[in-house]
Amino acid sequence: MAALALGMAVATAALSVSLDVGDRLAQEFRSLGANLLVTPQADSLPLQIGGVDYRPANAGAYLPEADLGKLKTIFWRFNIMSFAPILDVPVDAIEVNNGAAEPLRAIGRTTLIGTWHDREVPIPDGTTYETGIERTNPWWHVEGKWFKDNSTECVVGAGFAKRYGVKVGDALNVTATDKSNESGLNVVGILTTGGPEDDAIVASLAMAQQLANKPGQYRRLYVSALTKPEDAFARKDPKTMTPAEFDTWYCTPYISAIALQISEELKGTDARVIRRVAEGEGNILTRVRTLLWLVTFAALLAAALAVGASAAASVIERRTEIGLMKALGAGSGLVGVLLAAEQLLLAFVGGGIGYALGIVLARLLGERIFGFAPAPKLFVLLIILGLAALITLLGSAFPLRRASRYDPAPILRGE
Amino acid sequence: MPTTAMFWRIVRRLLTANYARLFVILLALGAGAAVTSALLNLQIDAKRRLTTEFRALGANVIVTPRDPGTDGNGATLDEAVLQQLPAQHEGKPIPAVAFLYVIGEIAKAGELHFEPAVIAGTQGHGLTEIRPGRRSEYLASLENDPTACEVGAKAATQFAVHAGDSLQLRNEGRTASCKVFAVVATGGAEDTQIFTRLATAQALANLPGRISLIQLSVTGTPDSLNQFIASLGRSLPGVDVRGIKQLAEAEGRLYNRISGLLSATVILVLILTSLCVMAGMSNVAIERKNDVGLMKAIGGSVRRVVRLFLAEAILMGIVGGLVGSAIGLLLSIWLGKTVFGVAAQPRWIVYPFSVAITVIVSIASAFPLRRLAGIRPASVFRGEA
Repeated sequence: MAALALGMAVATAALSVSLDVGDRLAQEFRSLGANLLVTPQADSLPLQIGGVDYRPANAGAYLPEADLGKLKTIFWRFNIMSFAPILDVPVDAIEVNNGAAEPLRAIGRTTLIGTWHDREVPIPDGTTYETGIERTNPWWHVEGKWFKDNSTECVVGAGFAKRYGVKVGDALNVTATDKSNESGLNVVGILTTGGPEDDAIVASLAMAQQLANKPGQYRRLYVSALTKPEDAFARKDPKTMTPAEFDTWYCTPYISAIALQISEELKGTDARVIRRVAEGEGNILTRVRTLLWLVTFAALLAAALAVGASAAASVIERRTEIGLMKALGAGSGLVGVLLAAEQLLLAFVGGGIGYALGIVLARLLGERIFGFAPAPKLFVLLIILGLAALITLLGSAFPLRRASRYDPAPILRGE
Repeated sequence: MPTTAMFWRIVRRLLTANYARLFVILLALGAGAAVTSALLNLQIDAKRRLTTEFRALGANVIVTPRDPGTDGNGATLDEAVLQQLPAQHEGKPIPAVAFLYVIGEIAKAGELHFEPAVIAGTQGHGLTEIRPGRRSEYLASLENDPTACEVGAKAATQFAVHAGDSLQLRNEGRTASCKVFAVVATGGAEDTQIFTRLATAQALANLPGRISLIQLSVTGTPDSLNQFIASLGRSLPGVDVRGIKQLAEAEGRLYNRISGLLSATVILVLILTSLCVMAGMSNVAIERKNDVGLMKAIGGSVRRVVRLFLAEAILMGIVGGLVGSAIGLLLSIWLGKTVFGVAAQPRWIVYPFSVAITVIVSIASAFPLRRLAGIRPASVFRGEA
């Protein structure tokens, strides 16, 4: 009974974790950052080196920030995990003494990256959605505080801070390189990204818009979307698909389908798949899922073996009872049915207890390993009860058959 | 010694008394050992495989000048640094490519309207590993041409060029031309760049022998990668060597998940195995009441009886473990193929380890036999329980 309950608990835990974890694993990969890049369609070529755009503010096309809420109205809106618009402004920075009028020292030319830190975006259906750069790029670490949107706060890259000796609490004065606008900034944090942002200043999008004189506009949008790994079908050119195929493709969260839906919703944009992220993610995800199912299968097998063996053992223990029943005139069939009924009852009770234990175990394992608790599913209970019944019957069938051949006399004598 | 001979004779009889039960117990121990060794082997292999898979995400180490310049083109490194990089890390070659970025002006051959674009001069081996993407057009015949260049998908649309066309490049009065041999789509900034030979970009920028940065794709676990970065930083003064955190963090996190999953499964399977063996052993305990009673009646000490059963458990553990672990190792080769597409390498260290674990499980599962120690010969012979 204990073996039955424990075996079924393990089976329950394995099934519920692996049923739930597939989707969660895909989310895990969103820590790799955005997998879609949205840029204006009619644009001059960005002069982008290592993530920073070197075009002057007056060159090239921009996109309206106000449209961004529409991202959450596309067909796969719930798969859009986060997004962050970017506007780069080349600036000259000087350090100023807090409060004093004269500049402390010149720092030089750098890039101010304007983005959202944490923003409630209004969505056309009346709700809001919270997103920002901290969610699209979770590997960005800030020592100190993040800047607040719509403020003069900023964070500076670690390389920049080290080179110019800028600390949290310092005040900077930045001027757009075309000398049009300037603004004061307070450093509230030091940013480490391992990328080119380490040599830049990151501030709110509103600040960058003011410096570039482009209110309500941005230049690049990073979107992080949950997707289904691409298969052979996803690699077909949508233009050559039949209408039925196109519908299937459009209604599957392939990254290319989501890219198309985004460019349909945001007019005048070009949404491109960031290949290195999307493809690497797809490959690894497929592999890890296979691994997960193999492990589940191994656990189920071990559980079945344990339950079967303990069922067999419990029948063998009944030898004297079987002998007595036979001595009193019970036929082999009746003995078999009686024991099988008992085993079935045990299987249901044990399976039920095992299911309850298994849910607790799944919760424990899920939280420990994957950081979430899988939701209990009713059909797992059905599978477990069926499995328990099947395995106990199979496990006890062999000793039962032997028991039916027992001669009662020697058993009752204790031999 | 006759007593030793007798000891082993009894053990042999104990083992062979009931073949069906011996088979069930050995099956349970063997299956437990097989799962343990297969999953442990896969766990070691997963680390290696994952790092290889993550290499599909492109460069993970960047070498830059320590003091980046403040103008658009940035400060530069000596191109000799590329030759000073180690060619291998842990037996795996390291793709390394030097880049020199120039913001120049581009036009299709024969056209007069130039537009600014980023020209990236490249030199080194393994550009496709460093910068993964899809080539939509490709002319292998042109690739080795000294003036060949590769154009990002967006730039190709902008200038309306295809593989086989020529481009004119110019920067501050210096001019060059190149023949397009491929159009590449990466989805990143590379889509808007033009990749030329390093010498072409150096001539355009008037920076002979200089490069902007080097990108490397180093295969290795996050720990060994950190060591590589630190030792490279020490051996190359005047440069900054940094890892791309984005990849390292995701990889470390994913590996922890997989490793946790496999360890939890191994533990659960071992618990189940010992349950299974325990079920068999409690039958044994019931059946052997008479035998133990007899042994005690003719003067066998409790310790001696316990030693008998221990020897039996250890023997079963060793046999089940040896056979099961061997099967498990073979199984993991196939598992590796299913999961990662490449056969997993059997690690021999796993073998003795999982045999040892199986023996421990087998001894622990002999727990029900403890009941036999308390048997009183007199009551057993009277036929009482």
